[in-house]
Amino acid sequence: MDISRLMLNYPFIISIILFCLGCLCILTQHNLIKKVIGINIMETGIFLFFIAAGNIEGGIAPIYDPALPQEILYINPLPSALMLTGIVVSFSVTAFALAIIVKLYQYYGTIYAPDIMRMR
Amino acid sequence: MDHFLKLMPFTIIIIPLLVGFVLAIFARWKKDICPYLILAGVAYAFMISILLTQRVIGGEIIHYHVGDWLPPWGIEILIDELAAMMLLLLNGCSLLILIFSIKSLHKEIPEQATGWYYTLFLLTLTAMMGMVITNDLFNLYVMVEVTGLGACGMVVAKGEKLSTEATLRYLMLATLGSGFLLFGIGFLYQVTGNLNIPYIAAELVKVREQYPFLMWATMSFITVGLGVKSALFPLHIWLPDAHSSAPSPSSAVLSGLVVKVYIVSMLRIYFLVFGFDVFHETYMRYLILLLASLAIIGGSLFAFVQLNLKRRLAYSTVAQIGYIFLGFSLGTKWGIVAALLHIIIHAFMKVCLFLAAGAIYYQTGRKKVTHFSGLGYRMPVTMAAFTVAALSMVGIPLFGGFITKYGLAMGSLEANNPYFIILIVISGLLNAAYYFPIVWQAYFTSGHNVKMELDKVPVTMLIPIVIMALGIIYMGIFPGGTLEFLERAVSRFIL
Repeated sequence: MDISRLMLNYPFIISIILFCLGCLCILTQHNLIKKVIGINIMETGIFLFFIAAGNIEGGIAPIYDPALPQEILYINPLPSALMLTGIVVSFSVTAFALAIIVKLYQYYGTIYAPDIMRMR
Repeated sequence: MDHFLKLMPFTIIIIPLLVGFVLAIFARWKKDICPYLILAGVAYAFMISILLTQRVIGGEIIHYHVGDWLPPWGIEILIDELAAMMLLLLNGCSLLILIFSIKSLHKEIPEQATGWYYTLFLLTLTAMMGMVITNDLFNLYVMVEVTGLGACGMVVAKGEKLSTEATLRYLMLATLGSGFLLFGIGFLYQVTGNLNIPYIAAELVKVREQYPFLMWATMSFITVGLGVKSALFPLHIWLPDAHSSAPSPSSAVLSGLVVKVYIVSMLRIYFLVFGFDVFHETYMRYLILLLASLAIIGGSLFAFVQLNLKRRLAYSTVAQIGYIFLGFSLGTKWGIVAALLHIIIHAFMKVCLFLAAGAIYYQTGRKKVTHFSGLGYRMPVTMAAFTVAALSMVGIPLFGGFITKYGLAMGSLEANNPYFIILIVISGLLNAAYYFPIVWQAYFTSGHNVKMELDKVPVTMLIPIVIMALGIIYMGIFPGGTLEFLERAVSRFIL
């Protein structure tokens, strides 16, 4: 395995590290707010993965301008557009999860998961 | 008229969605017209799905390009036999569940929430329909997310401690699952540069030799992602709490329909994107066979020890999901036909059982299975339907469940793996062990002087239960037409 090739694709490595951190955070943290933060970290990792996949070395934003030379490179806009949808989805999941946590706090007086499990 | 025919696959999604959001406006002031408005919306979708199914039976495969963007770039809607079957099932079951919920809902969820509950119902239904008919993987992901949010909303609508807590766990795991799914789709997009299923498949055949590890990774990401959502055995931990603490109509939708649409998407991805060869060569097939077998035994054993009726039904769902996974991972023609047939029949059975549980709770307020003695004489119609569904679960001939068990047995013989027949027989006995005591208690432990009387629940609650029970019997006695249709659907997946 060539290490320099790995370094060239560093955004993918970072995105996978973020994804794993987020998963770990969701599964191991007991504080419910931290779990929600974990969801956001995980999804940020995925967004980074998609956007890195759409990037082309030396490309510019795909806005057509006749003044520019013909042979110029544009990046692939589709993954960025997809990730806009992804961000909206992630936003609504976060909002919903926080609303449920507020509700749970009203019922149990705590947002610490083991305490809630003990009290049910 | 021509224009309408062309737009039909599109309106089936957009009109219920529109009704759902219009409903949210009415929900505050005119709560009493909400059920009828939504009934109209779902009835429209049901009618359209009948028309579409007729066209599909006639041999047509319906393509629709959203916004006239052609396939490699635009979103494509594709209605083949499988999608038509699922549309019919989703809309038919939802219609009956809605009729049930008109009179029963106010007993189970807070009065001010009843209007908005229907908005969530329509949101979930339309997202499920979208998931079934879409031919584009990113669109699939969006629909998966919307279904997840809608389903969580339908559980939390009850507004109790338990259901709120179950919802949070469901939401966390569902989000984890869709994260995995999106990562898997990202891998596929990275390798093939397409999101449309046939295009990905065509590209993947060329490049899959180059990336052997990536096939494993993608396959595992998608299996975990959709496996969490469809409650494949060790990932089912959210299911019993969420399904049992939800209001009865929600439980029926969640258990009967929501977990199935994920399996349909999984089937599409395994067989149409990767193809059976990759599914087989990456050993994913053996993993799913193993997990399905564990689900069938484990789910039944867990169900056996539950005393709350709805919890018992929820664990039974875990076991029955195992049948569907077993069928399609056998990978033979009969196996997949049995899996698809079980999607239909299990939807009938679980909707019938959960609605019956709701009716029992409505009349008597009882939840524990040990408190049902004499119920067979006080609620004869409900208990008769419950008995039909229970017999079908066990797999008695003349009921629907027998046909799928027969199909699975044929499938395992075709796959040269007759051990699964033993598994199916054992699971039938386990099912008997936890369903028959309920029936026995309802009919035979009531003492001598009990008077026979009719159920004291509104007739709109009884009609759906009876129709479901009749559906189970119909599928058990005349399965021919459905099987023929499903064989045509399966011929698209394997040669």
